Amino acid sequence: MVMVLTRLHFTHPIHLIIGLTLWSLWFVAVYSGLSVACAVAPPPPEAGALTGLNAALGGVSFITALGLVALSWGSCQVAKQHEGRQRFHATVSAWLYLFSAFGVVFAGMPIISVPPCL
Amino acid sequence: MKSVNQEAIEHDPQQLHEDLHTIWGNPKGLRSLTIVNHTTLGLRFMVTGMVFFLIGGILAMLVRTQLAMPDQNFMSPDIYNQVTTMHGTVMMFLFAIPMLEGLAIYLIPKMIGARDLVCPRLTSLGYFCYLFGGIILTSSLIIEMAPSSGWFMYTPLSSKEFAPDLGSDFWLLGITFVEISAVSAGVELVVSILRTRTQGMALHKMPLFAWYILAMALMIVVGFPPLILGSVLLELERAVGMPFFQIAGGGDPLLWQHLFWLFGHPEVYIIFLPAAGIVSTLIPVFAGRPIVGYGWVVAAIAIMGFISFGLWVHHMFTVGIPQLAQAFFSAASMLVAVPTAIQVFVWLATLWLGKPKMKLPMLWVMGFLIIFVCGGLTGVMLALVPFNWQVHDTHFVVAHMHYVLVGGMFFPLIAGLYYWLPLFSGRMPSENLGRWGFWLTFLGFNGTFLIMHWTGLLGMPRRVYTYEAGSGWEIYNLLSSVSSFVLSAGIAMVLLDIALHFRFGKPAKHNPWNADTLEWANTMPPSAYNFVSLPTVETRHPLWDDPNLPHTMAKGMHGLAVASHGRREMWGTDPITGKVREIIHLPGNSWWPLFAAAALAVVCISLLTRVYALAGIFVVIAGVFLLRWSWENGAHPNAAPDAGVKPGDPPLHSRTMDGPGLWAMAVFLIANGSFFLSYLFGWFYLWTVSPEWQMPDIPPLSLLIMSIAGGAVLAGCVVIEKLVRGLRQQRDAGLRASFYLAAALGALQVGLAGWALWRADLSPTQTTHDAVMLVGLVYALFHGGLAVILTVLQGMRVGYGYVGAHAPFEPAVVALLWRYNVVTFWLLVGALAILPRMIGG
Repeated sequence: MVMVLTRLHFTHPIHLIIGLTLWSLWFVAVYSGLSVACAVAPPPPEAGALTGLNAALGGVSFITALGLVALSWGSCQVAKQHEGRQRFHATVSAWLYLFSAFGVVFAGMPIISVPPCL
Repeated sequence: MKSVNQEAIEHDPQQLHEDLHTIWGNPKGLRSLTIVNHTTLGLRFMVTGMVFFLIGGILAMLVRTQLAMPDQNFMSPDIYNQVTTMHGTVMMFLFAIPMLEGLAIYLIPKMIGARDLVCPRLTSLGYFCYLFGGIILTSSLIIEMAPSSGWFMYTPLSSKEFAPDLGSDFWLLGITFVEISAVSAGVELVVSILRTRTQGMALHKMPLFAWYILAMALMIVVGFPPLILGSVLLELERAVGMPFFQIAGGGDPLLWQHLFWLFGHPEVYIIFLPAAGIVSTLIPVFAGRPIVGYGWVVAAIAIMGFISFGLWVHHMFTVGIPQLAQAFFSAASMLVAVPTAIQVFVWLATLWLGKPKMKLPMLWVMGFLIIFVCGGLTGVMLALVPFNWQVHDTHFVVAHMHYVLVGGMFFPLIAGLYYWLPLFSGRMPSENLGRWGFWLTFLGFNGTFLIMHWTGLLGMPRRVYTYEAGSGWEIYNLLSSVSSFVLSAGIAMVLLDIALHFRFGKPAKHNPWNADTLEWANTMPPSAYNFVSLPTVETRHPLWDDPNLPHTMAKGMHGLAVASHGRREMWGTDPITGKVREIIHLPGNSWWPLFAAAALAVVCISLLTRVYALAGIFVVIAGVFLLRWSWENGAHPNAAPDAGVKPGDPPLHSRTMDGPGLWAMAVFLIANGSFFLSYLFGWFYLWTVSPEWQMPDIPPLSLLIMSIAGGAVLAGCVVIEKLVRGLRQQRDAGLRASFYLAAALGALQVGLAGWALWRADLSPTQTTHDAVMLVGLVYALFHGGLAVILTVLQGMRVGYGYVGAHAPFEPAVVALLWRYNVVTFWLLVGALAILPRMIGG
């Protein structure tokens, strides 16, 4: 685990934007995936929210959120080992990863209850 | 930290000042048009922005006069539409963004301890593009041919069928021209902040204002290209009939809305972020303590920078998008309230824990806090889909937008102008006039727009030129209109105060507000080179921690206090740690930016008047000017032929492999990539959604020819990469031949792609499919051609001795373009030639 954390270089400021970039990619993926699926093969409206499409979108969202939480935890662990500039970058990155995970959960919540193509 | 050239040698300050002035000083008379200095150009941006603000303000008063009473005929419907459209357009594109960019251009080098921005000629080009584009756009008002389809130019209202005169063309061409300016400023602000901070100023020690501007500049770089693409497509549709937004040909008017709001929503934050940066700068100064939660603010800025791109569809909740997609955007729109709230609480906590002094700038900050929080709350209301449906296209939205934009941008801007006024002029504003100005503005603003929320809730639609008596909206509209004149009186008083202070203001003492940031280490007003010597700064509050710093800087006791070489110089530092890596030498005053902008203005006017041959000629002329400009770089006699530096100093950037030009090219390619991705979005969007989209049975583009062309550009890129690797190891044997070989491979790619295009026999005015394909191929041909020209020029520069092992920098810059071309060309091959064969229509 220590080796993985080291190799990810959580003290580098690039991590200030990786979490939110992943959030953005997730957002584009679920929105465009939904749009294409609804244009090409929309599930029947009577199926409600219990569709394969919702399950796929939910699955992608769950994995993304889990990954972001893991990255937040990793940043947090690394931050504790440093001082000054490196600690600053790792700490702020940890919060940004956590916020990104929250963003995925919050924006993805409607997948549970809203029919996809209505 | 080991510092460079930091020995405390006392120079003769007067002699140093005179020497630096000789190198950096601004010329007078006609030659003042050649000035590239950031201080002068920043002021020009701001003064021009204020002129456009006055024009936009007069248009707003005309609107309120028309709406003051029911059934008025003060303006005809057509003129009213022109006036409302131009009010929004002028305020958004010609005032808000250029004004804030001007402030950033003026302040950023001073705040980070640099002597100028990193691409001074680009600053100048940006200014002239802004000026000429603005003049072209506003001239449409004089000939009563202004755009009239709303500042967002929705199709089909703005299309040829419903807007046959030149109004839409003025908008599309003028705004695209102005956007060159915005993107130019965005690119150089990013690079300047990352690469020219003074020695020791690590990323986490940077002033918060620089963080805000960095985010704003990156957002411009990514956010503006979708609108540039949209404008190009709509102008092509209007001028030659390529049906991008017409259902009948296979297009879709909703594509315009997507492209516009992909730009338009981030733009609100592009405007808000620098304004919030002003607030985050002023509050600690007037509270007399460091900001609470610097890291929280940095996190909030980053969150806003990203999340604001995920909100664009909340402008389109009524166009028939699936409920689940609406829910994503509704949630994302609420999410952006989190970083906003973080900042508001940070500001309140700083005020709470400090001892705030309610000087004039703080009055405007307080006004901002009240108005912006109200605007933010109505924003959360509008994020809720059912509520949004109810008030869509009513005056409620107009009121919300003004609370956010005027509260979120104008109030902080005036706070900032009052705060930095002593720096601009060396004089203090009048507290009395200023306070009158504030209260009239504050009361007038709320009287105008708070009431407009109710008019909207009562159902009054926006953009109607009049309304009937008895509708119940009369009293509210009258109150709004009367208040708007109070607002105008307030703004006039502020402008009067600012104008009068230049003559009657009390002379300001040095650092009059006891600020902590480096810009106050300047003389007031500042010299053209900002600082005689560049200090080491390892704290967020350099002037609080070392009040003597301005004195020692002025005496030349810090870095780069030398002028005998005749170059304009400043530090090039590591973007993370702030360690000095090289000396950046900057170009001097130049006519080329003005000439290039003037040629582009002729292109713009020729396209407006449909004289396409002239437009073509001036495109070439503009290209020649720009290439001639690029020729005066590196080891050129007009740049830095002598690479000599003081013992112990780092090398000149042009003698390394990592100068600012490399970073500028990378950031420019991010903007270019955003344009390209928007194009791909358009292609796939129309393919998926447009009801009449027709995919030909046999794909028209030859996969074989396109693949060979892709192989050629890849081979050319490999040649360039190899020669760059050689230069990195100080080897330059066969350099010239390698450049010409790469150029030949590039020419082969262009020839083959052109042949594939010719063979495809497209009908771009008949089907959207062919029109989109043509645009993609022209994009590839343009980039291929550009790479060939730049590579040939590099070969020539080797012959002149400007490029080689001794000056290896430029090929690395050109190599970035080649890499970009390889990636985009193969993506095009995939999207236009491979996927249609795999998936079909």
